[in-house]
Amino acid sequence: MIVVESLVKSYNQTRVLHGVDHAQSRGETVVLIGPSGCGKSTFLRCLNQLEVADAGRITIGGITVEGGRPPGTKEERELQRRLRMCAGMVFQSFNLFPHLTVVQNIALAPAQVKGVSPRDSEALARELLAKVGLEDKAAAYPGQLSGGQQQRVAIARALAMKPEVMLFDEPTSALDPELRDEVLRVLRRLTEEGMTMIVVTHEMQFARDMADRVVFFDSGRVAEAGPPEQIFEHPQLERTREFLSKVAKR
Amino acid sequence: MLAGVTGVAGQTRAADTLDAIQQRGELRWGADAEGGAPYVYPDPDKPERMVGFECELADALAAKLGVKARLVQNQWDQLVPALQRGNFDFILNGLELTPENRQRIGMSRPYFVYAQQIVTRREAVSFARLDDLKGKPVGVLASSVAQRITEKAGGLDLRIYPGNVESLRDLKARRLDAVVLDLPIALHYAKPDPTLTLSGPPFAPGFYGIGVRPEDKALLAALDKAIEELVQDRTVERICRKYGVWDATQDRLREYRPDAVAASQRISTLREWPKYLPLLLRGAITTVELSVLAMALAVVTGLVLVLMRVLGFGPLRWLARGYVEVIRGTPLLIQLFLIYYGLPEVGIRLNAFAAAVLGLGLNYAASEAENYRAGIESIPRGQMEASLALGLSRWQALRHVVLPQALRLVIPPVTNDFIAMFKDSSIVSVITMVELTKVYGMLAMSTYDYIGLGLMTAAIYFALSYPASLFAHWLERRLRHDRR
Repeated sequence: MIVVESLVKSYNQTRVLHGVDHAQSRGETVVLIGPSGCGKSTFLRCLNQLEVADAGRITIGGITVEGGRPPGTKEERELQRRLRMCAGMVFQSFNLFPHLTVVQNIALAPAQVKGVSPRDSEALARELLAKVGLEDKAAAYPGQLSGGQQQRVAIARALAMKPEVMLFDEPTSALDPELRDEVLRVLRRLTEEGMTMIVVTHEMQFARDMADRVVFFDSGRVAEAGPPEQIFEHPQLERTREFLSKVAKR
Repeated sequence: MLAGVTGVAGQTRAADTLDAIQQRGELRWGADAEGGAPYVYPDPDKPERMVGFECELADALAAKLGVKARLVQNQWDQLVPALQRGNFDFILNGLELTPENRQRIGMSRPYFVYAQQIVTRREAVSFARLDDLKGKPVGVLASSVAQRITEKAGGLDLRIYPGNVESLRDLKARRLDAVVLDLPIALHYAKPDPTLTLSGPPFAPGFYGIGVRPEDKALLAALDKAIEELVQDRTVERICRKYGVWDATQDRLREYRPDAVAASQRISTLREWPKYLPLLLRGAITTVELSVLAMALAVVTGLVLVLMRVLGFGPLRWLARGYVEVIRGTPLLIQLFLIYYGLPEVGIRLNAFAAAVLGLGLNYAASEAENYRAGIESIPRGQMEASLALGLSRWQALRHVVLPQALRLVIPPVTNDFIAMFKDSSIVSVITMVELTKVYGMLAMSTYDYIGLGLMTAAIYFALSYPASLFAHWLERRLRHDRR
């Protein structure tokens, strides 16, 4: 489903990703953990082309994009857009569109990008709202919702494009602890439904419970990867142990 | 600085300006040297030196009074108010000895006999008399005798110019069929020009005199005496001949007998508002038409510019950026001159209204583009990223996500600009547009009621711009639904 080969990314001479390889099959939930600044967010942003990698190759759902330079030709831009449509993204800061209602937020991309009729895209939006438990907020504006509710709308918005893969970039970090569970519940449900997911998070409990595989990122590399039991109970590296004990103390 | 201020105040308080002139050993005369030949103008060979027959006359007068003469530059159609403010001691600049002028200020005996002259293009049908010009576009100098005569004649398509050079240039550019102006100016500027011709004989002769503040009786008497001596000893004739403006009619200078002048009466335009307000309102209509059209042009062009800058690449981006920088970095006045007077040289001839809309619109487009850019840049990056991540193109993201949000942020600065333009639009009077401020200026010039007319004009501007500001507030509130 997802194959990443030798992904390299630098910002102003500073190398953030040192040749990351990653492979993931359909229906697999992978949780990325690691200290801040280790490159896990950058990795995620490269996957759906918000950042263009300096080198390497990304394949998602059969669409391959090479790193190196921003897309120049029309074909390259079209390829980039198709890759993005394969990969739904949920941001730490929700990034809902404040001038649109909840339903409009969700229906915008299907209507504009796929040309779904207004009626069908609205029906789809209501269906997805029901799925994240917010059917009664359809007409609300994002500013009228709590953070947890906003993030659930953001998830529905990403799902509306029917992506092959969902990418979550610290989806609960901006939330108060009591609001995190409602978002995590939605993530759990997606995992159970067999969605292919990559989740960057500090929620170790979620990683333990729901991950098929946990990947520990350190200094722009995949330091250690394996099933949650192995990573949490028997980490191989000193760095991993150190990180886990720090997180546990929080 | 402070000494200068108190110095000026001290002079106006002196019993008579004549004393002040003699105390400081210098007389200050007001004139407009812009397009001022052959009256007073910079020497073409030595531009820092002023020449002209009035310039030499001023020197001769100063010599009679035993002082030196110093020219104080002042826009011609503002010479009388500037005199009344005390900017200089007297006006010596083709000021006609009209009953109106004699009521407002003190006028000396004449130093020159002028007449009106029709100037046309050489190849055109000749228009020998004013009657031949009915319905034709005709240029005159603002507040001049020519303006008054042509207005009285009626039936002409009159265009009012701030200077004589501009009207003759428009005559050559075929915007006008004729220019009516004082003979000396015609002799100096139009006669040597092979494309122009003096059409028909000079008509409506009159006198030029020196204008002083009404209370300066001693100064007036001294000037009268000095002029009389200079006329009698043929100094005036010698000076005029030097500049090619002497003719047989000048003999009338010697026979001049001042006739009694009725005491001046104050006109209160506020009391007579039914007569003046409609005139001002007609000017206001032009101002509104002009600002609305120019703003529409600015808002649309600004959008194109900002889209070129945000979506475009390479040359397009540079073009948009260069446009904004160049337009912002040059004065609107020069841009208007280039559009109105410069473009005809490359074959693009716009009428004054089109040139004014274009000039104001393209100028404000640069500032609207910057307003939009500030608005777009203040929308968090995450909005664009979230849109792109959903598969929207950059254009779709701008169109559906960024611009609608930026719109609300952009309304206040754009409204500000609209109101500013509304008032700035008065600058287009330099290309002969007669809008609200110009009407004010012309009426104030003939009534000298600056306060009454000023209050009415200000009230009209306010009555028109305040609703615009209320509308903007309302629109802004309406678009705020997202942040409840």
